[in-house]
Amino acid sequence: MTSQTILLVEDNPDDEALTLRAFKKSNISSEVVVARDGAEALAYLFPGDGDGDGHDAPRPALILLDLNLPKVGGLEVLRRMQADARTRLIPVVVLTSSKLEEDILDSYRSGANAYVRKPVKFSDFAEAVRALGVFWLLLNEPVPSRAPESD
Amino acid sequence: MTQRTSLADGTFAALLEAAPDAMVCIAADGLVVMVNAQAERLFGYERAELIGQPVEILVPEAARAVHPGHRAGYVADPRHRPMGAGLSLAGRRRDASTFTAEISLSAIDTDAGILVAAAIRDVTAQLRVKDLERSAQSLESFIYTVSHDLRAPLRALSGYSELLLEEYGGVLGEEGRGYAERIVAVSMQMGQLIDCLLQLSRISRAQLNLQPVDLGGEAAQIAGEIQRREPLRHVCFTIQKQVRALADRRLILTVLENLLDNAWKFTSGRDDASIEFGAAPGGDAAVCCYVRDNGVGFDPAYADKLFQPFQRLHAARDFPGIGTGLASVRQIVERHGGHVWAESAVGAGATFYFTLDEKEGA
Repeated sequence: MTSQTILLVEDNPDDEALTLRAFKKSNISSEVVVARDGAEALAYLFPGDGDGDGHDAPRPALILLDLNLPKVGGLEVLRRMQADARTRLIPVVVLTSSKLEEDILDSYRSGANAYVRKPVKFSDFAEAVRALGVFWLLLNEPVPSRAPESD
Repeated sequence: MTQRTSLADGTFAALLEAAPDAMVCIAADGLVVMVNAQAERLFGYERAELIGQPVEILVPEAARAVHPGHRAGYVADPRHRPMGAGLSLAGRRRDASTFTAEISLSAIDTDAGILVAAAIRDVTAQLRVKDLERSAQSLESFIYTVSHDLRAPLRALSGYSELLLEEYGGVLGEEGRGYAERIVAVSMQMGQLIDCLLQLSRISRAQLNLQPVDLGGEAAQIAGEIQRREPLRHVCFTIQKQVRALADRRLILTVLENLLDNAWKFTSGRDDASIEFGAAPGGDAAVCCYVRDNGVGFDPAYADKLFQPFQRLHAARDFPGIGTGLASVRQIVERHGGHVWAESAVGAGATFYFTLDEKEGA
């Protein structure tokens, strides 16, 4: 389908396996990088942070973010991404078990672009992942790569 | 303390007696000078048993040794203030039992010297309410966490079973595929159960947002939606207009949906199905509504089980459902200060009544 990178932030190994399987099933050939907690996700997004030079930092085309994560939670990852011009414009889809109104509101407030509740049934879940891939990687016009980074 | 209070004329004693809290007055030497009737009741002593005694007999043993020091400190700097701010204070009754107390101190300049007056309040009951609130809250978050955490393994269960079916369906054979399909089906069912559990616990916590609701209009709308889902069924809906009440709109819609859905479901075997919504005389309640159907009904012997979560009076194969609909109905109606009950006989249809506390404009 496309060769962009997707960052999957997911701590549950079964959910990881099923998500990867769903990508495969939908012929999404993007490279999927998996971060198993919020700290890993931040380390991936902000490599060698502190020296102020993030030009070679990876820019995934899409981030699928679980909320309930060890070490650094999903909402905190969102906030840190919002606070940094280098990551502010990356589309983030929150993909979680929760349908708690507070979680949905907090996610949008923290900068999520979409919120999807993981269905229990795998075929529904696979369909959701496929639809997300099609929308964000094919249909949606991404932010131009030379976009001005300050506002 | 601009003027010295005179103890001789009895005004002070009368004021002390009229105070809402238990009052104990001590002199600078720590001996009890006066107490009021509330203090007698609270500590279980007769007045005469306390006067002239060191105030420490009202202090639990564990704190007795340090108390005279605190007392002297107060007399040296006698401002009106709560005692031991941030500390958990306790009083000791005559029978050696103790209670959690809130104590505030003030100094009174009298013709008999400085007196320290302590107002003592037993806050055990308040603390118990706080404890209950806390445990209700932790139960909420427990249910939330559990239902959240239970969904992840369910997804894996049904996901891997579906993959088995998809990729190894041929090897499994018909019987094996049937088993895998059952795993998928019961996983879905458990997913629904968990959602219902979560919903029930949320209703008990929801903040009520009372507003005027046109129950008749809402019922008509819900009836229309139900009919659209199964356009081939013919059911005669009779819905009374102008039934209005003050209610939380979102929650009361859940009540109407559940009752009308049930009526629809349990009349499915009839060609002449009819469902009725209307207002009935409700005794003391501001509003009493009913939903009546001519469906299969239920055995009145089990009427009290109807509103318990996960209780079903009919086999799932006859009438699908999780068994939390009426439990939600009861919880919502009771949150509104109302009651819910049902009347029926087997084969004779059922009528569900609910009352609400507030009438619009009342």
